[in-house]
Amino acid sequence: MSRDGQRSSRLRHRPSRAIPSIIAGILLLAAGVALAWLAITRLANGTWPPLLQGPRDWLAVLAWNDPAIRQIGIAAVVAGVVLLLCAFIPGGFNALTIDDSRSGAGAEEPPVQERETVMTRRAVARLAKARCLQIDGVGSAAATATTRRVHLNVTTSLHEPGDLRARITDAVRARLEETGLSPVPQVTATVRSRD
Amino acid sequence: MRQTAGTLNRTWLAILGILALAAGAALLLQSNGTLHALLNTARFWEFVVTGDLHAFFAQPWVVAVILIIGVIMGVLGLLWIIAQIPRKNRAAAYRLHDDGSQGFTLCDSSVLATAVESRINNLPGVVTSAALLRGTARAADLSLRVTVNDRADVQDLIHRIQTSTLPELSSALEAPLQRSQLQIDVSGRTQSTGTVVHSTGTVLH
Repeated sequence: MSRDGQRSSRLRHRPSRAIPSIIAGILLLAAGVALAWLAITRLANGTWPPLLQGPRDWLAVLAWNDPAIRQIGIAAVVAGVVLLLCAFIPGGFNALTIDDSRSGAGAEEPPVQERETVMTRRAVARLAKARCLQIDGVGSAAATATTRRVHLNVTTSLHEPGDLRARITDAVRARLEETGLSPVPQVTATVRSRD
Repeated sequence: MRQTAGTLNRTWLAILGILALAAGAALLLQSNGTLHALLNTARFWEFVVTGDLHAFFAQPWVVAVILIIGVIMGVLGLLWIIAQIPRKNRAAAYRLHDDGSQGFTLCDSSVLATAVESRINNLPGVVTSAALLRGTARAADLSLRVTVNDRADVQDLIHRIQTSTLPELSSALEAPLQRSQLQIDVSGRTQSTGTVVHSTGTVLH
């Protein structure tokens, strides 16, 4: 259960699966505590706790073709599939890469062997929203960003938005290009007229 | 910039998933008789427990085995939960000169990180920054989180960091950096000062 803390891990990474791991860890801990408590009670009192009597009686008359065995088997298969999906579904990256070679360091190449420059998805959404709010005709805006797409929900007071949507997508795309995002995510917008 | 246990989690989730899937499939195959046909296991109408459970659990070694299994499971579960806490894992004091005959020079990595932060905080468009150094003095890793306002010129900021801050840090360490990581965040507060000019509507002739 150790991890490499000597060097930096990459800033742009996929989800760490913390929630399924915490749930599995708590279940493992609970099972371990229950087993240890049962054993310690047996050592201290000389008899097993009475609450084991029920499971022991049930086990004594349980046949392999009992429906309960089938139900336990199905539950275990489902839990196994869920755990494997949690482990193998990659999930989206948390950040977008910025091309830092465009910044024109030129002859003054920085004394670094390996570079990584990223912008978080939340930051990209905020940048897109801020640029959108600067455009004439935009009343309010909300932005969401993934590594491939930035979407803006825009409200305008214009009765005839006309080319507002195109102006928004062009301006936001230009801002993201100027920032150096590589690749530049696709920019889409939905414009609603405020009644 | 904090480190999480992604690889550890994927590995343990996969191991537990395979174990649960194998156990569940074995139970299902045993309950319908397929496993008996394949591997000559118990017949599906037979009882799961054929011996005397009371006599089995009365043996002293059974208690010891249950106790050991319980402790191992509990410790593994607890360590797995603790591993979920994101960690900075910053470097301890850098040994800038380690020649015993000439004396030692130690420098806490947080001192260098604070100096880097104060340099970056003075760059145009920067709201705040956080720096973290890992690795060794001869091969340092710099992780930077820079929060800028929404009007900042990001490429200009990167250029300034690459041409001033990184060379200065490298010069202080007297060695090139092993790795430089820069995470740009954008402040949630819309920039309304500085270059923004609000019109009063008054026309001067």
